[in-house]
Amino acid sequence: MSHLDHPTTETFDANARAALTDMQLRGALRNATSLFGKRRLEASQSLDNWEELRSQARAIKDETLLHLDRYLEEFTANAERAGAQVHWARDAAEANGIVCGLARERSAHLVVKSKSMATEEIHLNAALEAEGIVAIETDLGEYIVQLAGETPSHIIAPAIHKTKGQIAALFTDKLGIAPTEDVAMLTSTARRVLRAKFAAADIGVSGVNFGVAETGTILILENEGNIRLTTSLPKTHIAVMGIEKVVPRFADLEVFLKLLPRSGTGQHLTAYQSLITGTKRHADDEGPDELHLILLDNGRSRMLGHAITRQSLACIRCGACLNACPVYQQIGGHAYGSVYPGPIGAVITPQLFGMAKAAQLPYASSLCGACREVCPVKIDIPELLLHLRAEITEGAEQSRQEAGGSRQGEAAIKRRRLERIAFKLWAAVMIRPWLYERSGRLFRVLQRFVVRGGKIGKVEGLLARVAPPLAAWTTARDLRPIERRTFREQWRDKPVD
Amino acid sequence: MSDAAINQSKRGARAVILKSIRDQLAESALRDAASGKEKVEQTGVVLSNEGSSIAVDTVQANGQKNNLERSLVRPFREQLEAVGGHCLVVSGQVEAARALNSIIAELQTTPLPTQRIALSDAPLVERLMRETGVKVDEITTSPSAPDLFGYDIGLTAAQAAIAETGTLVLESDYERHRLVSLLPPVHIAVIDAADICPTLGDALRRVRRRGPMEMSRAITFVTGPSRTADIELTLTIGVHGPRELYVIVNEGPPLTTD
Repeated sequence: MSHLDHPTTETFDANARAALTDMQLRGALRNATSLFGKRRLEASQSLDNWEELRSQARAIKDETLLHLDRYLEEFTANAERAGAQVHWARDAAEANGIVCGLARERSAHLVVKSKSMATEEIHLNAALEAEGIVAIETDLGEYIVQLAGETPSHIIAPAIHKTKGQIAALFTDKLGIAPTEDVAMLTSTARRVLRAKFAAADIGVSGVNFGVAETGTILILENEGNIRLTTSLPKTHIAVMGIEKVVPRFADLEVFLKLLPRSGTGQHLTAYQSLITGTKRHADDEGPDELHLILLDNGRSRMLGHAITRQSLACIRCGACLNACPVYQQIGGHAYGSVYPGPIGAVITPQLFGMAKAAQLPYASSLCGACREVCPVKIDIPELLLHLRAEITEGAEQSRQEAGGSRQGEAAIKRRRLERIAFKLWAAVMIRPWLYERSGRLFRVLQRFVVRGGKIGKVEGLLARVAPPLAAWTTARDLRPIERRTFREQWRDKPVD
Repeated sequence: MSDAAINQSKRGARAVILKSIRDQLAESALRDAASGKEKVEQTGVVLSNEGSSIAVDTVQANGQKNNLERSLVRPFREQLEAVGGHCLVVSGQVEAARALNSIIAELQTTPLPTQRIALSDAPLVERLMRETGVKVDEITTSPSAPDLFGYDIGLTAAQAAIAETGTLVLESDYERHRLVSLLPPVHIAVIDAADICPTLGDALRRVRRRGPMEMSRAITFVTGPSRTADIELTLTIGVHGPRELYVIVNEGPPLTTD
């Protein structure tokens, strides 16, 4: 993936094209997405009330989001009562500042991390490194990706873009093991190396899947055991949690514990769930001495302002929409240039990091609706994509009025104007049968210039410049020409019985 | 930054975030009212509220209790075995000790080392270990965290189990098993059939005691051995946690009434 080392969201179109030429990547994606998709379907069918659970989960999320201020305060009060310290962070810099400050006060040198989207979103590792603190990812996939100096390509399986051969070469190079392609051997090597880190770490940093308002409990799911180690061994545990992760009641966890593993990996339950409520009661109890919870906004509260954007905050990060998406299936996660790839990434990324940086992402979809169908919390991602596309167009026009619009904005305005003309023409033709027929005849004459062997192949040269959509359409597929005799003509000439 | 300045900025962040949430929600409410949209709050789904879901465990008290226990052992065992765990069903302490003995004997035929055994502080666990009479280099109750890295087998009890998923429930208030169940490559757990709950929801209600102060600080659900599929989607057992998980289920008189 050398050509895609550090793709950004700004260059999505180019990233996607580059990914399409990577046959190894596409093979890996095909295997992963179809396997996860199949397992998800089987797991969801193992329950007879799947649809009911989805509705219930969404209702819980909706209720929470409509009173998010109240539930966050309740969560904070209960977590603090149980001994946790709660910090609030408006943005990435503030969150990183809090973690780095805690690390500095404790003279920490080594931080072990378990997989967390929120810490990736704020680029916590880079912030810690800048302070001279080593942060080690301990999830196997994340560890591989970190060793390789890359970024995750899937929410659930961060290293699906790498073959075991590449991983073996990486381990030989960085960890000095003898060359092997035995997956069990590679895994036990990571276990051995990372155990030494766990034993030596000063601080454990984790994410949070759900935070319970009425008890102040955090719930974290996993399969490997590295989250249990991260949250049990170091003296200090820091958990970074998006403000949308709160649920009102402890009993609400049941619904999400049924939906999340089934949607993510197709398991009925992941191997481990850690339910942590505050800090230990007695000095000689097991576990960390202190628990710091960092509540991260970083653009989330903005999404509450509209019923359509608000649903983005219902996401439980299962990754099911990635596996179901025909676009993700072909290009993988890196092309999105964001920690949040796939359909959910295409709607969350522009909202979190600004439309200017991610204006291509809402168009990275065919609006087929597969994501909406598999989403365990029924997020209407196509509706969100359309909403964001509208915002992009309106935003461009507005910024032009205010003078000094961006180049991208100018292009969007021009495109919009051309689209308007095209659709007006189309409408004018479609409501006038005589005009429709004559246009058909006209195009039948014109198409002679481009039809070769009964089809319209790749359109190039002057015509491509006159009709860019035609050129774009025919770069990768043929276009069927208009028939010599249309249906209307055949119907008219049909002999009357 | 001085402590006061940090506190100031902390309070600031909290106030700003809460204000932003309230402003955005107010804006949304206005917009929804203007467009005549129904509030999402009033969608037809009934939310379970506090108090409605507490007393399920007591429903299964008395008469049919024994039958229910037996009927839960089978699904528990099937689910546990489906995720790569081992399950031995016994009746009474003598059989439990014998089962423990056979597990260790079986492990001694594998390449896994079995000479150092760590016990949680549950009296039952120590009693069983003594009764097996197995000869190993070392048996220690609650070794320190750094020492635990060197142990081969961890032996614990468990506070509950879940039949529908084959899950063990470990509650930190009742036993020191957070690390003994995690660090050694083999975890052996002993549980009474009476502590198996039918469903995940039942287990959540069981561990959820009134008020945050009454809940165990660390509750861990364990379903099978540690696993990963991060390399080419190849399932690999025992990445960070135990490679082998054995559960001894006692159908006889309860062992855990210490």
